[in-house]
Amino acid sequence: MIGNDIVDLALAQKESNWKRKGFLDKIFTKNEQLMIFNAQNSAVMVWNLWSRKEAAYKIYNQQTQIRSYFPLLLECFDLEIFDGTILGKVVINDNIYYTKTEITDQFINTIAAEKFKDLDKIKTLENRKNIQKNNGIPYYFEIDNIVSKPVSISNHGQFERIITI
Amino acid sequence: MGKKETIEKLKIIVKPYIKNQEAFDNLTENTDFINDLHINSANLVDVILDIEEEFNIIIDNQSMERMLDIKSAIDIIETKLSEK
Repeated sequence: MIGNDIVDLALAQKESNWKRKGFLDKIFTKNEQLMIFNAQNSAVMVWNLWSRKEAAYKIYNQQTQIRSYFPLLLECFDLEIFDGTILGKVVINDNIYYTKTEITDQFINTIAAEKFKDLDKIKTLENRKNIQKNNGIPYYFEIDNIVSKPVSISNHGQFERIITI
Repeated sequence: MGKKETIEKLKIIVKPYIKNQEAFDNLTENTDFINDLHINSANLVDVILDIEEEFNIIIDNQSMERMLDIKSAIDIIETKLSEK
């Protein structure tokens, strides 16, 4: 299973005031808040961490069928910069997910997988052609229509990212 | 406070964050914040903070987990108000 989340930075700035009293406390753990305060650009770190939590939640939600609002239970850790992208992990209860985040001036995109080696196998799809939903979960169908691959779609503002593995 | 009054207050709170006007116009107890009103998940925190301010209550993490639709919101608000 894979997860994916994209944040349109201009829209996020317009839609959310992360400096609002109580906002960070409801979403980010103490350690994450430290990362935000110590970051060169705190706003970018807010959405960087948020997109990791969202991408990881999408896998957790599919695995457990649990739909709930618990951003604090998903904790980001082990962030490291590698070849221009940022690797990391997200933990929730006993589950660990591996994440890879791309940050540009305009958007932040995180992809998440259950295994670290799967991150390199994830591909971006250009459009929704051959994508069909089964039980609310999107799949990509090969030409023969027999083999299907899991898909994760995220859109925010002017950006959309569709991934498959 | 009656349920109707709570729903009216909730409508005022969620209005700035909704992205589906039709679902908002037809809002019922079963309306889902994310699936129906298309409120983005980061703004759900704003809804929760606005509810805390409006009703002068504190929504703990356990209650927050259930805060996905109007029905749960009413239930949580009523419970927190009764504990005061």
